[in-house]
Amino acid sequence: MLGYLKLEVLRILRDGGYLMMNLVSPLTMYLVFTNIDLGGQGHRDAAIYSMVGMAAWGAVGAVLTNGVAIAEDKALGWIRQLRLLPLHPMQVVTARTLCAMIVAVPPIAGVCLAGGLVNGVSLSAGQWTAIGLLLWVGVAPIAALGLGIGYLFSPTKAQAVGMIGYMGLSLLGGLWVPVAKLPRWAADVAPITPINRYGELSWRIAYGHAPLPAGVGVLTAWFAAFAVLAVAAYRWSSRRA
Amino acid sequence: MKNAVSFTGVTKRYGAVQAVAGLSLDIPTGQTIALLGPNGAGKSTTIGMLLGLLPPDEGRVEVLGGTPEQAVRSGRIGAMPQEGRPIPRVSVRELVGFVRGTYPRPLPLAEILETARIADLADRRVDALSGGQSQRLRFAIALAGDPELMVLDEPTAALDVESRRELWASVRAYAARDRTVLFCTHYLDEADAFADRIVVIGDGRVLADGTPEEIKSRVAGRTVSVDVPGSLAFLQGLPGVVVSEVHGGRARLTTTDSDATVIALARAGAIRNLEVAGAGLEEAFLALTADPERVA
Repeated sequence: MLGYLKLEVLRILRDGGYLMMNLVSPLTMYLVFTNIDLGGQGHRDAAIYSMVGMAAWGAVGAVLTNGVAIAEDKALGWIRQLRLLPLHPMQVVTARTLCAMIVAVPPIAGVCLAGGLVNGVSLSAGQWTAIGLLLWVGVAPIAALGLGIGYLFSPTKAQAVGMIGYMGLSLLGGLWVPVAKLPRWAADVAPITPINRYGELSWRIAYGHAPLPAGVGVLTAWFAAFAVLAVAAYRWSSRRA
Repeated sequence: MKNAVSFTGVTKRYGAVQAVAGLSLDIPTGQTIALLGPNGAGKSTTIGMLLGLLPPDEGRVEVLGGTPEQAVRSGRIGAMPQEGRPIPRVSVRELVGFVRGTYPRPLPLAEILETARIADLADRRVDALSGGQSQRLRFAIALAGDPELMVLDEPTAALDVESRRELWASVRAYAARDRTVLFCTHYLDEADAFADRIVVIGDGRVLADGTPEEIKSRVAGRTVSVDVPGSLAFLQGLPGVVVSEVHGGRARLTTTDSDATVIALARAGAIRNLEVAGAGLEEAFLALTADPERVA
């Protein structure tokens, strides 16, 4: 499994343009967003809110595009070749999830650094550490979802499905604007969606609260569901006459 | 001798299409066997089931004494699936090194690269390889784990003559170590030259099974050739003829009863520059797949 992780990480690290793209778009969004006055909340709260939101948005985008790229590997016959090696599907999916999560590191680090250095977000060392870790670990369910999409669909379809999932779940997740400002039905649905609970982990820490058990529960349940989907999709993807 | 592979009454259906229809086949350890058949004959489905990628609807597939999945998971199979293209951003050495690492008892890296004739390309990015080179890399991947059974699905498709020759030299070097090799091919001369045994598949069943010589003699096939200056009408309904082709004013008839065919040609007054020859593998193959009932 480590060998597979190493190989896929190597392939990602050699794709500098792709890594940059994952860093630049959330960072730009963050800096632009936070320097126009959206009004409403106090400036400090708003800066923290959008820092976490944009870091999460960048992380989600990174893992989803990374998962969707699997569809291209699949078209090359690479997934089928992997299936014919003595590797357990669970090992492949675990390694590939970790690999997608590595791509999430630059946007998380970049946006948090910009928050602290440029926008003057001040948090305790413990809060910074916790937020950094939770933003990273908490993106695992979305990484698994991205894998599932990549294994299931053709490259163009995977891209479309990934994009719809990305935009829809990010909006419901409150990554751009707080869920309270969304229509009533959306605000009601949001708490059972994965990205909302993902962002919530770090927002709560930033505002000095402990994560909600219900939030952790919902996120864990999504992780389990998406991991099962990813393993099944991996196995299914090589079924071709 | 123990069987490396055993299919017993295997069927596989996709909707209304019966891809494999009651296939039974035993492959003893150490044999090099060619699966031969036209497109849609069920070869790829058969390979898919052999590798555990597809579950059979009925029947049993046993590989190296267990299920296909067990054989793959324990690293006893090496496979070169059809139509693989290289993934970007890794070198030959990295890719083969990774594949080796997944197997319990792999061959040394240098030996793999040597056997597959890609030692000089070790540091090349795999997406910068030519068609023939990348095919040899795919063979190296199949070879890396020193598997007991190697499965090659049309390994030389779309390769030029020189690349085909080199790839077969590599396969031969591997098979010489008493390993079992199963390959699919469209090229009859490859089956003839490299297989100990040929299994002809059509409509999801075994149509013929034997050494290349046996397959050729199995159909008492002959070719009858005559000049056809004018109308082709007399070619209709000739007895024994399974395939007829006309090229450059000459008809080449593959027949299972050359006597009857020649007599009928004589009655039609069509004997012009007559030639009767023993059929090669190609004619045998065409005869077998055109009229399966004859040899069933």
